[in-house]
Amino acid sequence: MTAPGARPAGGKRLSRGLSAMRLAARGGARYAAGAPRLFAAAGERRQQLRDDLALRTAQDVADTLGTMKGVLMKIGQLASYVDDGLAPPARRVLSRLQDSVPPMSPELAAGVVEAELGGPPERIFKEWDPRPIAAASIGQVHRAITTDGQAVAVKVQYPGIAETIAADLGNVALIRSLLKMAVPSQDVTTLIEELRERISEELDYTREAEHQRLFAGYFDGHPTARVPKIIDELSTARVITSELAVGARFGEMLDWPQEEKDLAAETIYRFTFRSLYELHAFNGDPHPGNYLFEPGGRVTFLDFGLVKHFTQGELDPLIRMIETLCLNDDPEGFRRAMEEADFLKPGAPIPTEQVVAHMALFYDSILRPGPRTMTSEYSSAVARRYVDFKNPLAAYAKIPRPYVIVQRINLGLFAILGQMNATADWRGLSEEIWPFTQAPPATPMGEAEVPWRASRETRTRSE
Amino acid sequence: MTAGVFPGTGLFQRAAAAFAACVPDDPADDGFFGPGSVTWRVNADLTSPVAGLRSLLLQALHPLAMAGVDQHSQWRDDPGGRFASTAAYVLTTTYGDRAAARAAADRVRRIHERVRGVDPVTGKPYAAGDPALLIWVHAALVDSGLAAAARYGVALTPAEQDQYVAEMTVAAELVGVPAARFADGGAPASVAELDAYFDAVRPSLATSKSTEDTAAYLIAMPDVEPELADVWEVLAAAAEASLPGWARAMYGFESGSVPPERVAVRQVLGVLDAVYLGEPGVLEARQRLTLRMRAAAR
Repeated sequence: MTAPGARPAGGKRLSRGLSAMRLAARGGARYAAGAPRLFAAAGERRQQLRDDLALRTAQDVADTLGTMKGVLMKIGQLASYVDDGLAPPARRVLSRLQDSVPPMSPELAAGVVEAELGGPPERIFKEWDPRPIAAASIGQVHRAITTDGQAVAVKVQYPGIAETIAADLGNVALIRSLLKMAVPSQDVTTLIEELRERISEELDYTREAEHQRLFAGYFDGHPTARVPKIIDELSTARVITSELAVGARFGEMLDWPQEEKDLAAETIYRFTFRSLYELHAFNGDPHPGNYLFEPGGRVTFLDFGLVKHFTQGELDPLIRMIETLCLNDDPEGFRRAMEEADFLKPGAPIPTEQVVAHMALFYDSILRPGPRTMTSEYSSAVARRYVDFKNPLAAYAKIPRPYVIVQRINLGLFAILGQMNATADWRGLSEEIWPFTQAPPATPMGEAEVPWRASRETRTRSE
Repeated sequence: MTAGVFPGTGLFQRAAAAFAACVPDDPADDGFFGPGSVTWRVNADLTSPVAGLRSLLLQALHPLAMAGVDQHSQWRDDPGGRFASTAAYVLTTTYGDRAAARAAADRVRRIHERVRGVDPVTGKPYAAGDPALLIWVHAALVDSGLAAAARYGVALTPAEQDQYVAEMTVAAELVGVPAARFADGGAPASVAELDAYFDAVRPSLATSKSTEDTAAYLIAMPDVEPELADVWEVLAAAAEASLPGWARAMYGFESGSVPPERVAVRQVLGVLDAVYLGEPGVLEARQRLTLRMRAAAR
């Protein structure tokens, strides 16, 4: 009888053991149904909690998010991208875990602001709302007005959370068994790395602010996509201050007329793929809580806690796969591109037609020009295909590490667009955006992007 | 949690249901301990499952206590049910108001009246209502609360440890231990008295087939939800490691085995707690307690 740290992971017991946590973790798979991000999660619910349950000390934070609980929530989030469906009891376990995290007391939050910004919030800001407006990544968001009169959102990290979670991440054996349960189909070693990376990224608000600056700079002047600017002098490793964004939440927007939803979807699509092909960066968290909507397709993008940067070398195979499959009708070339990027084992005994038939679903929306409606059925089908391990191809296919996140974002994006029932000529939009096609504007929004793009080129040249 | 997740007579599911039911919504008074007590503080930590398991392992070492459980309770047929009723009893006397605690204690006393017999191992007669046996069961519980807290839970000062032992005498008196000083036949009321008690009682302890069956069952725990088998394994290792050396020796637990580390045990307890919180009513019950404890601290 030993602690999990002393016992090799694996074995029958381990594989059946903790499947409760597998279920719990799969609770995070509310993704497809439009769940808030886990740490950001429970936002509304948390607001309903009585103030007298608020976290008052760093010890309260450790008790609530330590002893693996914060890590569990994160594993749930990770699982949400790679698993399909979820059992209702599991959803309850995880959502209850989120509900168990109350907001910080005004004093505790003020203490973090004071430690990070050098003074109590009432002195640092002209006005400070001690009641949080939302839960955020391992912290919460307060509204404030700066001394020069700007309305801002101030994200404040739970004190001591970094140390607490770092300690839990040290128990690799336990995490390994939890992950094995949560996402049995995945390579656990890769996932552990990813979990650690993502948690450490999320803990460091400096990184997040850098990412947000990158996106805010790029989309500055865009007709419909907005990214709140970071207020540098009020941002640190544990506090991020940015412009206060306004707009309707995802759920409210869903009640808008379809034309409005289509426009919002077009902005989200343009935002996602312009970022990928031109910034070589993907904001890794396409979930409903991260958008604010205004009429006319205007969308504000929040939360840059998870951004993946790509090298040209990492992008090239993706581009070749699109070119060979969607533009050149070159199945063998497509297969070679997959093999070169390590998506497919070279020499797998699977006929190329079958490879193409399996993969085509992922490209379905951009195979042919013309309007097409994204549906939840389609996004579920994609998610199911993604985890279809019974397919003979599964034994030879994998998602190489640099692209794991792309797949997840794709699934998330499809899920969002599907919920919006969005119709667009996705192929047409893509051809505008693809660097290898650079087609002229396909829509009025594309036309409206022209001056922004022109000003960007001017700026790029003058830099 | 539905039957699909915790099939059968899930141990934790039943314990969770007991917790949700035994923490009162609107108590008439603060009960025999109250939100400012050390007892509540010790119980609010994650370590209760370890303390509970350790106390069962310890209690089984008294032949007469073992015989009473073995011959009279549903222990062998429905250990999960037996656990749940014990848990419900402890939770009610800890968190319930005085009337609820007294009612629960009266039920236990009535049951105890029927639990008498002769221990087949020692040939000695026993009666569950015998204060000496009640003190044994009580002392094992209190000692386990302290041991689990010391190794894996909240840090208590020596004064707080004494206070915990003193507070807990009330629980002993509820089931029939005389309300007297320890020297006069009452329950131990300080750490020193508790230690003295164990020194005095040790010659009466022994292992038997029943003890070994019980320990083997407790450690392997075939009745725990299969999803929680790994968690139980760590709990059992922690409980085993926290037993006094003499008890470990009686059981023949290997002295060379490496005890699980505090942090690792707490992490596993945290995973367990996450599942526990998913059970209906557990989070709300815990919030009720937190609110009362916070109000008391003001």
